Amino acid sequence: MNTHHPSEKEIQEYALDKSGTPENSNHIESCARCSAEVKTYLFLFSEIKQSPQPSFDFDLSAAIMPLLPQTPPRLSADRFVAGFLVLFITFFVGIPVFLFHHYILNIFSSIPPFFIYSIIACASLFVLAKTLDMHKKYQKQMRLLNFN
Amino acid sequence: MNHTIGTHPADKELINRILRGDNLAFGTIIKNTERLVAQIVFKMIPVAEDRKDLAQDIYLKVFHNLPGFKFQAKLSTWIAQIAFNTCLSWIEKKKKLLPGILHEEEMHPSANNSSRSIRMSAESGFHGLPNGSEFEARLFQKELSGILQKEIENLPATYQTLIILFHQESMSYEELSQITRLPEGTVKSSLFRARKMLKENLLSKYQKEAL
Repeated sequence: MNTHHPSEKEIQEYALDKSGTPENSNHIESCARCSAEVKTYLFLFSEIKQSPQPSFDFDLSAAIMPLLPQTPPRLSADRFVAGFLVLFITFFVGIPVFLFHHYILNIFSSIPPFFIYSIIACASLFVLAKTLDMHKKYQKQMRLLNFN
Repeated sequence: MNHTIGTHPADKELINRILRGDNLAFGTIIKNTERLVAQIVFKMIPVAEDRKDLAQDIYLKVFHNLPGFKFQAKLSTWIAQIAFNTCLSWIEKKKKLLPGILHEEEMHPSANNSSRSIRMSAESGFHGLPNGSEFEARLFQKELSGILQKEIENLPATYQTLIILFHQESMSYEELSQITRLPEGTVKSSLFRARKMLKENLLSKYQKEAL
């Protein structure tokens, strides 16, 4: 018998759907301590499944239906603005870039390397700042969710 | 209700009817998803008086955003996502306005009268009923369910929501990830921690009583 006890995570996974390595499964079936852990989780899962379900103490439909506008919902103006911007950029930037890309490449080849490195450094700094901002937002959300 | 990825054809028909101006079809959507929304709102929002306004707010958002629904997820999952985000915004707002309101002990009172059942359940390994008459066994089971319910209520709101949506509503990790907009790995590890916390809370209560 494998004497190494599976981790808490592996025990949970086994209790959920009997998944895991055959070694872990064999161990859990023959180890009293791990079997008791699995049974505890199975008990919890079964009790959660059967726990009473909450319901609103008012008629939700009756409360909402009078608040609905009589005209059907339509796409918000923001979406039209966004769509217009995409079309605008495609038309006035994308098409010229596609048509004159050889000339554009020539422009870059005539720029001194110092400027090219400066542009790359600026772009990298911008990406780094954006990444840090995303990370900060993620941490904020995690704190809000009580995950940290 | 089994929540699986993919859109039910009936949902598509209902949405088309609403977009043509048939508001009654929205009533059907409310009926179909009310239970799921209640699960999220009750687990996330401890202040009972605010739940009605929030529920109305959630469904009005759903109505106004229906034209933008792209059927990339099941309609119920999308509505659950709106419910979850609306509740999160409420929590954020309340934390700014009234810091501490979400941590009041009285909102989630501990099960002080639960020691006997915990002791009995731990003795039986939390998997069986104690010896005795059938009546006692039923009484014990009922009491135990109540205790566990209170222990679930003592978990952080997001953990409660994840646990209930996964174990009671049979939602997948993928759907939970869509609802919370968190990576699937984060959802899995959060659920793992929530289950572990729940188990340890129950056992520690037992150990305190046993001493």
